[in-house]
Amino acid sequence: MKNKIFKIFLWAFLISLVLFFLALIFGLFHQLKITSVQKQFAAGEIFFAIKLTLLTATVSSVIALIFAVPIAYILSRYNFPLKNIVNSILYLPIVISPIALGAMLLIFFNTPAGKFFEAYIFRVVFEVPAIILAQFIVIIGLAISLVKSVFDYINPEYELISRTLGATHSQTFFHILLPTAKKGILSAFLLVWARAVGEFGATVTLAGATTMKTETMPVAIFLSFASCDIYNAIILMLISLFIGIAVLYGIHVYAENRKPQL
Amino acid sequence: MKKVFTVIGILLTLANFVCAAEELFFFCGAAVAVPMREIIKNYEKETGVKVNVIYGGSGTLLSQMELTKRGDVYLCGSPDYIKIGEDRGLLIPGTDKIISYLVPAILVPKENPNNIQKLEDLSKKGLRIGIGNPETVCLGLYGIELLDYNNLLEKVLPNVVVFAKSCEDTATVCVLKKVDAIIGWDVFESWNPKDVAWIKIDKKKIPRLAYIPIAIPVFVKNRKRAENFISYVLSPKNGGKIFKKWGYIFDVNKAKKYAPEAKIGGEYKLPEKYFNFIKK
Repeated sequence: MKNKIFKIFLWAFLISLVLFFLALIFGLFHQLKITSVQKQFAAGEIFFAIKLTLLTATVSSVIALIFAVPIAYILSRYNFPLKNIVNSILYLPIVISPIALGAMLLIFFNTPAGKFFEAYIFRVVFEVPAIILAQFIVIIGLAISLVKSVFDYINPEYELISRTLGATHSQTFFHILLPTAKKGILSAFLLVWARAVGEFGATVTLAGATTMKTETMPVAIFLSFASCDIYNAIILMLISLFIGIAVLYGIHVYAENRKPQL
Repeated sequence: MKKVFTVIGILLTLANFVCAAEELFFFCGAAVAVPMREIIKNYEKETGVKVNVIYGGSGTLLSQMELTKRGDVYLCGSPDYIKIGEDRGLLIPGTDKIISYLVPAILVPKENPNNIQKLEDLSKKGLRIGIGNPETVCLGLYGIELLDYNNLLEKVLPNVVVFAKSCEDTATVCVLKKVDAIIGWDVFESWNPKDVAWIKIDKKKIPRLAYIPIAIPVFVKNRKRAENFISYVLSPKNGGKIFKKWGYIFDVNKAKKYAPEAKIGGEYKLPEKYFNFIKK
């Protein structure tokens, strides 16, 4: 009996949260029904925003993982002086608000180093690279933290055995550690990608809200809401929700299918 | 037990009524947050009425009012939003009053490194110009109208590198020197006197002046209290004094000095050539 109550208790949390999210989605449909159309649905603009969001989020997430994997490996396997301070700096983006991160980036590009970069390498501020950089800064702390957790759960003995059998450090890293951590890294990628898709504060500060240039889905939702066009804002929210759910569902199904059959 | 709940219910209702009797829900455009904070502080001290203020973009505030069905007073950045609010049945028609006037202006970083002196200079090749998003920020709409009126739209738009999401963001990109010039309001210079300079536009070239209006939403709980607050904001010795201190133009004649032939308020619709340009 006690076990049954405990089980009901656990399920109650899950069901109540799922119901709450469903209520939020239902609220959108309800509001859509009672809100009048303000202006014509601009399909070209929306398609552009979707394409830009998916493209920039994918690029920033890949770059974030390229940085996160070696950094997380160092943090997981080595001790070094000032490790706690380095840790604190690397995880800063998790605690600082995205709008502050965007403002920090904007200010950085006003320093001699930032000006030099823009003058001689390539322009960032108010351009598409600004979106990628803003998303990258927002997600990198999360990416490092997630990948480090994956490495922490892998027993270092495997690496030691590999080394004693004659494999080099890099061989061990690429052929033993990474394949073992593959699934966890894929999950980390999925989460940071989802976070990048929804990024708004840093993006709008560094890249602006230029229609058909730096207008990602969150920016488009903001612009609709800011022009009191609730109808189109809800349509955009529903499109974002649909994309989000479709991608998450697809990846979960993929992960399920790849589970070893026992 | 039932009686206890009834008593608690009555007490809560009374408490709610007492609180509501001394409160105002004020949806205020973020562009005037600085003077309004001071005015609200004085108003609360003098009247004892608590002003719950929600700052935000003019359109965002309308959206919030529509979704929450609340609000006693609404202040926005331009008359365009009063029209939207009235058309959507969110504001009581005819309750809007003018607080201060806004003059479209060119703002440049203080030292004006590109020697921008007139509107035509914005079309110089290679310049980087910032404006508010014309589809959502009233300042952006006035900027496009200004360029269109002077047949400069096609020449200046290629130089526009950013549409900012709000008036304040438009000023910020100039303060941070991320653009060579912005089309902003005269008051931006008063916000950042050490960082930006106001380049006055030829009086004949300004087609329309904007103004900051204040109005009463249809959701008002106590209209008399809302009107009392608006009178306080409009009063030259209370709100007026503070608005003037922060560089806002409180007098229509002073505003007209910058553009004697300009219309005040009214509507402007973005031209087809603007949409054709951004689709490129």
